[in-house]
Amino acid sequence: MGETANIPSWLGVAASVLLVLLALSVSVRYRLGLTRELAVAAVRAFVQLLAVGALLLIVFERGGLLAAFGWLAIMVVIGGFVAGRRAAQLPRGVHSAMAAIAIAVGVTLGVLLAFRVVAATPEVVIPVGGMVVSGAMAASALTLRRVQESARDQRERVEARLSLGLTTAEAFAPEEREAVRTALIPAIDSTKVVGLISLPGAMTGLILAGVAPLDAIRYQIVVMYMLLSAASLASFLSAKFAHRSLFADGARLVPIGASPVTMVR
Amino acid sequence: MSPLDQPQAPTELFTLVDVCVVRDGKQVLSHITDHFHEGHATALVGPSGSGKSTLLRLLNRLEKPTSGRIYFQGAPLENLDVHILRRRVGLVGQQAVMLAATVEQEVSYGSPDLSEAAVRHLLSRVKLDDLPLDQSTAALSGGERQRLALARALAVDPQVLLLDEPTSSLDTKAAEAVDQVIKDLVHEGLSVVLVSHDLDRAAAVTDDALVLDKGTLVDRGDPRSVRYLVE
Repeated sequence: MGETANIPSWLGVAASVLLVLLALSVSVRYRLGLTRELAVAAVRAFVQLLAVGALLLIVFERGGLLAAFGWLAIMVVIGGFVAGRRAAQLPRGVHSAMAAIAIAVGVTLGVLLAFRVVAATPEVVIPVGGMVVSGAMAASALTLRRVQESARDQRERVEARLSLGLTTAEAFAPEEREAVRTALIPAIDSTKVVGLISLPGAMTGLILAGVAPLDAIRYQIVVMYMLLSAASLASFLSAKFAHRSLFADGARLVPIGASPVTMVR
Repeated sequence: MSPLDQPQAPTELFTLVDVCVVRDGKQVLSHITDHFHEGHATALVGPSGSGKSTLLRLLNRLEKPTSGRIYFQGAPLENLDVHILRRRVGLVGQQAVMLAATVEQEVSYGSPDLSEAAVRHLLSRVKLDDLPLDQSTAALSGGERQRLALARALAVDPQVLLLDEPTSSLDTKAAEAVDQVIKDLVHEGLSVVLVSHDLDRAAAVTDDALVLDKGTLVDRGDPRSVRYLVE
């Protein structure tokens, strides 16, 4: 495949620097004050991708499957931090996000590998796993953000339910459901319009690499379905884990956006 | 057993022994020792920030004391199952948030098995007899919401109702209607603890008042004669 694929040579890459110069000239011409930032972004993209390419080469040639799963684990940790920090006032937000993303990725990728839908090789596990992680991360971030808002803004509502003797799970269930619903809308929408508005990444990549369109879409269908699973699981689990950290002993809703009652002496 | 483990009067509704609450390094309640009588309406009055709402929320464990003990009918509060405690000690907040779409669903929110007749009886206890059961809760006035929230709290058959400024967001006429409902409930034997920043309002409903200022209990007695200074 590599031989037949229509991939730019390094000379081609050098020529594409002309396009960066074009972007820079716009900034200079209109005094946008973005010249430096544009140049830095272009250089950063080059360096980052070069580093990732080199690392991937090492993993593919020497590391094997174990290194690929190690790579995936690092992505899960980074994803957990990114999603958890979207809800910085939530107690143990990063923990909730990381655990939810890890399980969502584990289950989704596990199903794909167990049924041999995708091959268990580093060349597949890393990019496919990366897509699963980013889908799970986006859903987890949206869910936690919404849970945080509810715990802060719907406090009276939740405490009114607690005051009727409802359990914390019952008292927070409507907010939890709404958070998961909201978080899943982007994943559902992008599944609905796939192919209509944009040609998605996996399919584009395969077509660029010379794969026949009807073969490329099979991969894309699997990708869309796995993203639905990753988003649903990550959102549901994020809400569950966040719910646990929202209530203290004695079924009290902890204060959000303020530190809890401290011990005297 | 240390003296603190033994409430002075175990039959009292609530007994507080040296209760302190510290939040963000700030003393919200300091060394409160007192009790609330069964079958009475007791007011917690004081200016905003005096700690009266915090004290109320301690009584159904929406908040936890930093130190000190609280007893409900002689039993340490934390020894009771919190869900059972909250069904015995109901709470209605200032805003009377609606939890369901219709009047009937709202009343039976905490007890879904309630019969239609039971719902109607609860509505009559809060003087909302005329309200259709399928009426949307979104269309209700502030006073109607507050009384519906009372009916919702009464539906789980509590012994005590904790009321946090139940009339502060209502106009005089609606507030008087809510006050009358509260008085009738107390007359029927319900114990009430009512938070208010307005001593006159509290005096209209209760026969006993605790006055708080900056987290400290400053006076206790008949709401018409207690010392209450508003700065």
